[in-house]
Amino acid sequence: MKKVITGNQAVAYGVILSRVDVISAYPITPQTTIVEELSELTASGRMKTVFLKVESEHSAMAALIGASTGGVRCFTATSSHGLAYMHEMLHWASGARLPIVLVNVNRAIAPPWNIWSDQSDSLSQRDTGWVQLYCEHNQEVLDTVVQAYRVAESVKLPVMVVLDAYVLSHTSEPVEIPTAEKVDAFLPPYCPEYPIDTQEPAAFSTIATPDHFLEFRYKIERAMEQVPEIAKKVDEDFRSRFGRGYGAIERYGKEEAEILLMTSGTVTGTSRIVVEKLIGKGYDVAGLKIKRFRPFPIEEIYKEIKGAKKVAVIDRNLSAGVGGIFAQELRASLYSREKRPQIFGFVSGLGGRDITPELIEEAVQYTVDHPRPEEEILWLGLKK
Amino acid sequence: MSDPIQFKGASQMPMISVSFGHMDWNKTGAWRAQRPFYEDKTPPCSAACPVGNDIVGFIQKITEEDFEGAWNLIKQENPFPGVCGRVCFHPCESKCNRGDYDEPITIHGLERFVSDFASSLNRKMEKVPRVRKGKIAVIGSGPAGMSCAYHLAKLDYDVTVFESSSSAGGLLRTGIPSYRLPKGVLDKEISNIEQLGVEIRTGVSCGKNLELDGLRDYQAIFIATGAHQSRGLHIPGEKGRSVFSGLDLLKKINLSKRVRLGDKVAIIGGGNTAIDAARSVIRLGKKPTILYRRSKEEMPAFGEEIAEAIEEGAKIRYLVNPIHIQQKDGLRRLECLRMELGDKDESGRRRPVPIPNSNFFFEADSVIIAAGEEAEVSFLPKGMEKRRGIVLTQRDGSTGIKGIFAGGDLTSNQRTVAHAIGSGKKAALAIDCYLSGKDSEEATRQILIGDGPSISIFRYLHPEERLMNPHVVTFNELNTDYFEPLERRRESKGVVKKRIKGFGEVTSGYTKGSALEEAERCFSCGTCNRCENCYVFCPDASIIKAEGVFSRQVDYDFCKGCGICFSECPRGAISLEEEAR
Repeated sequence: MKKVITGNQAVAYGVILSRVDVISAYPITPQTTIVEELSELTASGRMKTVFLKVESEHSAMAALIGASTGGVRCFTATSSHGLAYMHEMLHWASGARLPIVLVNVNRAIAPPWNIWSDQSDSLSQRDTGWVQLYCEHNQEVLDTVVQAYRVAESVKLPVMVVLDAYVLSHTSEPVEIPTAEKVDAFLPPYCPEYPIDTQEPAAFSTIATPDHFLEFRYKIERAMEQVPEIAKKVDEDFRSRFGRGYGAIERYGKEEAEILLMTSGTVTGTSRIVVEKLIGKGYDVAGLKIKRFRPFPIEEIYKEIKGAKKVAVIDRNLSAGVGGIFAQELRASLYSREKRPQIFGFVSGLGGRDITPELIEEAVQYTVDHPRPEEEILWLGLKK
Repeated sequence: MSDPIQFKGASQMPMISVSFGHMDWNKTGAWRAQRPFYEDKTPPCSAACPVGNDIVGFIQKITEEDFEGAWNLIKQENPFPGVCGRVCFHPCESKCNRGDYDEPITIHGLERFVSDFASSLNRKMEKVPRVRKGKIAVIGSGPAGMSCAYHLAKLDYDVTVFESSSSAGGLLRTGIPSYRLPKGVLDKEISNIEQLGVEIRTGVSCGKNLELDGLRDYQAIFIATGAHQSRGLHIPGEKGRSVFSGLDLLKKINLSKRVRLGDKVAIIGGGNTAIDAARSVIRLGKKPTILYRRSKEEMPAFGEEIAEAIEEGAKIRYLVNPIHIQQKDGLRRLECLRMELGDKDESGRRRPVPIPNSNFFFEADSVIIAAGEEAEVSFLPKGMEKRRGIVLTQRDGSTGIKGIFAGGDLTSNQRTVAHAIGSGKKAALAIDCYLSGKDSEEATRQILIGDGPSISIFRYLHPEERLMNPHVVTFNELNTDYFEPLERRRESKGVVKKRIKGFGEVTSGYTKGSALEEAERCFSCGTCNRCENCYVFCPDASIIKAEGVFSRQVDYDFCKGCGICFSECPRGAISLEEEAR
């Protein structure tokens, strides 16, 4: 059944279809309508879920850590400052290997006060041990939530599903809602590794001295390393059942191209049009959509570099002192590789400013015109 | 503690740091400086109830939709829930802690709901065939007498009730209009008492057919003959034609006798009888005006009924005192004085003081005097102390004469149905103590609700059950974070136009839905209702649930005495005391 729904509603549909047992969340713009939708679904009895009201995002995640340890499927959603407030507990969730799924609606972090789209909130959490998946449209949002549980529960790591504020969260699009039966067949119930049994008490996440701590971290890294393969299988299975799949990255435009345009989130949607137009004008360009940020899909990206000489990366985020984070990750992961195209790191659209087709075209044109970037950070649309 | 584990490497290690050893050996309870414990305390409603109803108890049963259980709880203390649910002045509601939050619980409405529910199921009291312990005579079948008879029957006594009028019920039958208390409700509750084996002999009057000396066969006597004699105004003309006493008027109407009233009726007095008389007069198609010598604030009638009377068209003139009832051309004319309020009198109300030369005339076709009633005490034996129209008794109803007890309006100026029922119950207890050689004072002290004066006969019969600290829970002791403001569910009332056309009941009882909603509002002060907040909040998992059932027990092996359960209990049902050193 197709419905015209917002990205936040798509999140809620993904959650209800995933038969989540416990939801704990604290409202924050622009995530609020997710929480409203889910609490109404719970209150009306349409969803058999325990909805825990909490006084903060820190508590929301803490509650889910308890619930997930107890062996049930958990969900929360947040944004911006809320995610920042959760920071400590994000580490705990991954350290305790709990397959919690969190939806973050990308929003800038203040000051100055701002509620619009910006990836700095989720990317600030890149070192917390969470898988991160960025969505381009509402259908992808719903599908990714469902897929996220299967990936998380397979590798025993938490997954963060990310969508842009307003452009997705509050904008309606037609979305195919899969039937519960089909999702049930795709997503089996969660089986915890260490189920809690009150008759056999155990203490979880107890102290590990320097003798063992390093090894526990090593195990988390190994789990992260399994994600590309498992996520690929999950995505292929999903595609076979529902006819839709997304991969870790997606190439569009020319099969072989001198210039690659790398984007994430909804900027990709705009870039598709720009790339098509520029190819029509004779440009040698292809687009690269990055869906998975953690673990960073360098193998998948490297395959797509082929003969490309330059990669233009548009980042809607800023790590002050370094620049755009996607560009930085790409630079770092290519360093040991044989083929090392020039990386043009564009920073644009912070705090929700539109990244228009004209700006994207400008970025491509700059990349065409320059053998190498004149600066580490190329500001796009900056009013000097 | 076991030795630290050493793994060779990551491949041998589990996914997370986890210990399957347990910490049971670490009895953290040893750290405790203060000890929480479950202790029910007295809710203010029950403490204020002259009958001694377990109000929180029966409301909890309602919330569990166990209406029959609620009825069983009520009838342990009160044989008249249908009556009380309609006519009691509900001091329980005035003391309800919820009144400090938004609006008090409509306790009377819930009591009525339970009674009507039991009535609709045709539930009957069961007479338990047991050896009777002795024969008791009860004189007067009003609420005091019947309550005493009821509790004595439940205590296995053989009880005979003597009633001078032709049917039982006393003032409940003759003094309360049926638009407030339908006769069917009263009949049902009296017949319930009879089913316990109580014999009622009607048409037998004390001092006429029945001399107290003739009751020597009985081991104890309870006298509750009420207060029926109009106090009168002691003014010229009050013995004239077309001058009635309020109670006489109500009695005539209640017994369906003919009443001759003129069109314009003056009613003198400010108590419930005056209001009842006025509203009855309206239903007979006449126009009443109440003349009261003080102001509205001092009026002893219940506020709600004053409001209903005014709604129905009764006029009230305050600060007016008749001094002479005159007859002129068939019309009665009341010569009145205007009054003003002076200093407080012994009742705490401001005394009415006549304004000199303020005389005026008030014309009426009939005059009804409802200025209070006093007891008929002439038939009572010597040795019973009387003062100001009432018989003086001990707290338990015992009089100066061994074996003779008294209660109800005869012994008190608190002339309410609830006080009468309560006094009958106390006398039943006193009679049982008297006949079994127990100290009634001590027995009463054991079963006081709060600091009294009401008692729980349930606790007398089951001394180990439903223990309760006499401390009455105050509003400040509640944790109101767990309650949301919610208006009380109101009982519906007939529209004025319709209700003044007859003596049909004015107020309709709750539906099941409204009763559940209203019961849900109850704070359950001082009484655990298994909300399990303590269980949820205890950081040491030391609130014990046995096989999934909440047990109201603290695991003192591990409770560290943090006091969170105590502070998060919404209703003050957990106490905290310093640990003995």
